[in-house]
Amino acid sequence: MSKVAKGLNKKGTVKKSLLSQIKKNKLAYGLIAPALIAMFVVHLVPIVSGIWMSFLKLNQFTLKKFLRAPFIGLQNYWTVLFDPTSTIRSGFIDALRNTAIFSVICSFLVIGIGLLLAILLNRKFRFQGLARTLLMTPWVVPSFVVGLLWGFMWQQDGVINKLLVDIFHFLPEGPYWLTGPKVLIAIIIPTIWRTVPFVMLMLLAGLQQIPVDYYEAAEIDGANSWQQFRSITLPLLRSVLSIQILNGIINYIYSFNIVAMMFGHGAGFPGKYGDLLMTNINRNSFQIWQFGPGAAATVIVMICVLGLVALWYKVFQDDLVVND
Amino acid sequence: MNKTKSLSEYKRRKRIIDGIGTAIVWLFVIAALFPIAWMILTSFMTQSDIATGRIGIPNHWKNYVDMWKNVDFFNYFKNSVIVCGITTVVALGIATFAGYAVARFKFPGSGIFGAAVLATQMVPGIMFLLPLYLMFIKIQDTLGIQIINTYAGLILVYSAFYIPFSIWILRGFFAGIPKELEEAAIIDGCSGFEAFLKVILPIARIGLIATGIYIFLMAWDELLFAWVLTTSSDVATIPVGIRLYVGNYQNRYDLLMAAGCVTTLPPLMIFFGLQKQFISGMTAGAVKA
Repeated sequence: MSKVAKGLNKKGTVKKSLLSQIKKNKLAYGLIAPALIAMFVVHLVPIVSGIWMSFLKLNQFTLKKFLRAPFIGLQNYWTVLFDPTSTIRSGFIDALRNTAIFSVICSFLVIGIGLLLAILLNRKFRFQGLARTLLMTPWVVPSFVVGLLWGFMWQQDGVINKLLVDIFHFLPEGPYWLTGPKVLIAIIIPTIWRTVPFVMLMLLAGLQQIPVDYYEAAEIDGANSWQQFRSITLPLLRSVLSIQILNGIINYIYSFNIVAMMFGHGAGFPGKYGDLLMTNINRNSFQIWQFGPGAAATVIVMICVLGLVALWYKVFQDDLVVND
Repeated sequence: MNKTKSLSEYKRRKRIIDGIGTAIVWLFVIAALFPIAWMILTSFMTQSDIATGRIGIPNHWKNYVDMWKNVDFFNYFKNSVIVCGITTVVALGIATFAGYAVARFKFPGSGIFGAAVLATQMVPGIMFLLPLYLMFIKIQDTLGIQIINTYAGLILVYSAFYIPFSIWILRGFFAGIPKELEEAAIIDGCSGFEAFLKVILPIARIGLIATGIYIFLMAWDELLFAWVLTTSSDVATIPVGIRLYVGNYQNRYDLLMAAGCVTTLPPLMIFFGLQKQFISGMTAGAVKA
């Protein structure tokens, strides 16, 4: 805006300066054109039609009409959020609750463990490089393999129960991890297992940018490790941390692969205690062909995420460095 | 006297704390590796050993022969390589141009474009999938162009999908390269585009490699779109095919684990082969906001 105003003072008319600006940046527009087209076709058009779909009666009978299906206003939202007789609603509410618990626990544990490991790796010790490399491996395993592998490990006669019961004697007998309320644990642990390495790597990179002299100076002044952590590490790591927190919020709420693969090998129904929003919406859409409520539920989840992102922005606003 | 004693005491305590820290690291290394080790171990066990829970000598190489016969896994593997390979090239190419433009030029609309790139990251995959699926059916019905169950359809969607994030990583990377380099090249007679191709791209190599690895790993990992857009086994990728080992008709966990190992191998080799470039490239672009 200010740029346009500046142009006005110098050259007389806004239009001319805008046009000359565009002409001057021909190369830039040429360079972004392919990306712009791709984002228009596969991002913008689907989002707009997806929002429109949430107001339509779209099921297996009207599917082929697509955007010309009957308009029913907010009825899909009513079905998803309030309709007491709808099984879609009860499923959605369960999934919402599970996803909230799942996301909060994963956020805290992943950042906590990632930070701990990053700090521990940011020292000199023997085989430090090897340890870092080995800690990265879970991130390389494709998440659908993670789901299948942990689903296999969590089985009642699987290796985890064998460890807990026969080898370490933590429990008298092996529980059923894949049914009932314990399902959430069975989902959270593999998610953490696969997410920690990348967060750790990013935090480690952030730590390595903090000059060592700060710690040396603090040491001379007699600050203990905790004080150094609180007044040097944490403040200087805030911008890196904030990005990882945002990334986490988005990834956990939209998480799908591990859960979908772990249960029914793709049928993806972990029961009412473990169903997540994305598996729930996916089933409603592609198994019982309720695209309308599916789209409405997606829009609701998206609004929640945008709210959380806005909250995140309010908290971390000052920490975001713009690198121009 | 007193002072030296407290100093040695301090050093001793520091050493103990250091030792505990290192021990914690190695405990986490065990936790990180155990599931992978278990996958490898069971992939060399017989079906009955797995069922009875007897851990014998893992010498059953035959699983790695049978897994290709029991399910036509080679077909799925080939499809994944084709789709992910082409997606990486297309998305990386397009994102490199755009990332450079956003990093170097302030043009009318550049702010909006940058915001749009970030905004796409907040939308769940299913928000795109529902309309795209119906749109593709509609296009097939009215225009006769088949998109579902084609390589092109999946590549189109994947490429477009990974472009915004790649732009974001690359933008950070290009922003770190001094502007003077192109200015010198332009004085020497290059056009702006030539300066970008000949001077900047070679310097940004590490950033490109890192972003390319990232795109490939994301595409290799993609499940939701693959399930819906590739129902025919001709074009279906690994996540669709790997489910056939267990479930309705059979429970071959031995073969599933072997297939899991084979599926993990390409990302593993790419990551460990190019680890240095990946880490320095990713952290240069992505650490900064």
